[in-house]
Amino acid sequence: MSTMTYQAPMNPDDLVQKPTRPWRQKPRSFTTAVALAVAIPAVISAGLFFYSSIPGALVLTVIFFPLQLLASAIAAWSTRGVRGIADSVIIVNAIGSTVFALVVLLSLIGSLVVRGLRALSAHFVYQNSVFINPSTPLEYGGIGHALLGTILIVGIASLIAVPIGIATAVYITEVRGKAVPYVRFFVQAMSGVPSVVAGLFILTIAVSTGWFSQNAFAGGLAYAILMLPTVARTAEEVLKLIPDELRTGALALGSTRARTVMKVVLPAAKTGIITAILLGIARVIGETAPLLLAAGNNDGTVFNPFGQAIASIPVYIFNNVAVPYPDAVARAWGAALVLMILIAVLFTLARVLGRGRVGRAK
Amino acid sequence: MSTAEFEEVAMMESDLLAARKTTPSELRAENVSVWFGKRKVLENVNIDFPKNTVTALIGPSGCGKSTFIRTLNRLHELIPNAALAGTVLYEGKDIYSADVDPVHIRLQIGMVFQKPNPFPSMTIRGNVLSGLKLSGMKRDNHDDIVEQTLTAAGLWTEVKDRLNHAAGDLSGGQQQRLVIARALAVQPSVLLMDEPCSALDPASTLKIEETIRQLSKEVTIVIVTHNMQQAVRVADNTAFFLAQENEPGHIVEQGLTTDIFGQPQDQRTLDYVNGRFG
Repeated sequence: MSTMTYQAPMNPDDLVQKPTRPWRQKPRSFTTAVALAVAIPAVISAGLFFYSSIPGALVLTVIFFPLQLLASAIAAWSTRGVRGIADSVIIVNAIGSTVFALVVLLSLIGSLVVRGLRALSAHFVYQNSVFINPSTPLEYGGIGHALLGTILIVGIASLIAVPIGIATAVYITEVRGKAVPYVRFFVQAMSGVPSVVAGLFILTIAVSTGWFSQNAFAGGLAYAILMLPTVARTAEEVLKLIPDELRTGALALGSTRARTVMKVVLPAAKTGIITAILLGIARVIGETAPLLLAAGNNDGTVFNPFGQAIASIPVYIFNNVAVPYPDAVARAWGAALVLMILIAVLFTLARVLGRGRVGRAK
Repeated sequence: MSTAEFEEVAMMESDLLAARKTTPSELRAENVSVWFGKRKVLENVNIDFPKNTVTALIGPSGCGKSTFIRTLNRLHELIPNAALAGTVLYEGKDIYSADVDPVHIRLQIGMVFQKPNPFPSMTIRGNVLSGLKLSGMKRDNHDDIVEQTLTAAGLWTEVKDRLNHAAGDLSGGQQQRLVIARALAVQPSVLLMDEPCSALDPASTLKIEETIRQLSKEVTIVIVTHNMQQAVRVADNTAFFLAQENEPGHIVEQGLTTDIFGQPQDQRTLDYVNGRFG
């Protein structure tokens, strides 16, 4: 028996290694099959779309999608055998569904931008609508009053619903009191309350009784009713994800339960709590019915949340979209675009605030 | 050395050991039995933890060691259907009597867990000082506390330049030493350690064991371990827990570590410490 030791190849080129990705190398037959599977259904569908009278949606769903499924399955079968077929079916379905969802979303945003951009201008964002009627040209007037109203109302709703919502979640996950099943049941039931009912509720108990008039605070109360269950349920889910080791760890250091929640559990769940608040805001910000009833409408700018009736973007859109004047309709689209931008700004802001991880870059 | 002289020295040594064992007990469990729901998991545990000693609890998995040490600082009651009988005396007083605040007990009887659990929302420094913040305890010279406790836990040199980094950036072993430092910062008089080294590499384990020996001059330590050599290295006393199939766990044998490993009285102890089962 000879003793053999392994000798590394002495080729000098091997001494300097280059990074490679062997798992990405595919045989030529595979590449060809994939290219054919992508090209053939697309070409057939495009031909049908341009040279026949079959509507595009029908081509897409009845011809292109099944054709693509079949082509991918054949390509997978030819290169990887029977097991490849199931893989290809799942991948084509996943990509197809994603593209479908994206197309819907992008066409929604696209139509909003295309139609809203006509009304959008600097003065549109800060002017109010006093002396403006549906036939006034777009050079005059704006939605500044409605934007301010929406911000005030959502702000008031958040001030009310966020602390109560988080406290509810803390009761369910941290206090774990005897009433947890009932609290959870009521929160669940609350999330089923139709928005118009929330508005009616505030209208009857507060406005009709003369307690206070239609104003931003009443609108905020109606919004808070809708926001609360979303915040509470999302925060509950988030707090449930915090491992119990953190809680016992804090308790083992001689912490009280209150301090454990305030200084360990909630900070650990910070990003999730911010998401809960955002989802709550997103839930209500476009609601029209509660504000029609509880906050009313106004053409002028109102700063006092406890004063007179106040405008808001959803109510502004509602009032302008069904009017037979193209400029009014354009204003409605512009307001919808501003509302979308407002939500985008809010979400970005919250993400930036929530990202502040501990102790980085100090 | 003559035989007589040798015997005299041996006598003195055993006297010393005996004296150490009989120093006033700081923590003492009397007839402790534990249930989860209707299932009894521990039966009639009687054990003394003399002041400033290290006691190792050994035994196969599932025999109730971890459950038992969680009864010693009232963490056991956090489990919804947990129940308990018997008494746990801390400095002569029953920690389960109605007028005792569990928060007060946990502050004096600290604990280190099997899985490192640093607080993710805090920095390394913040974690070390978190016990002070959470318990409302006032101590001066926070910088000194951070350095002392991290040094004791064998972590100081590795993290001294990044005390303001997130605790979650540390490796598992570093996190475990961090939570040991955190437990030390509130100056507990008893420290319970539930397999503190099971996630550590041998070098870190040695550092922790040195820390345990060092601490035992002023802190009473109870350590659950699956590592026999560790028990021999750090513990003055050892208790061997065992649970027969479907029976509650109990202490088979307890005493000086040298006796448990050197001349165990029970055949099962002998088998276990020699690695013949478990």
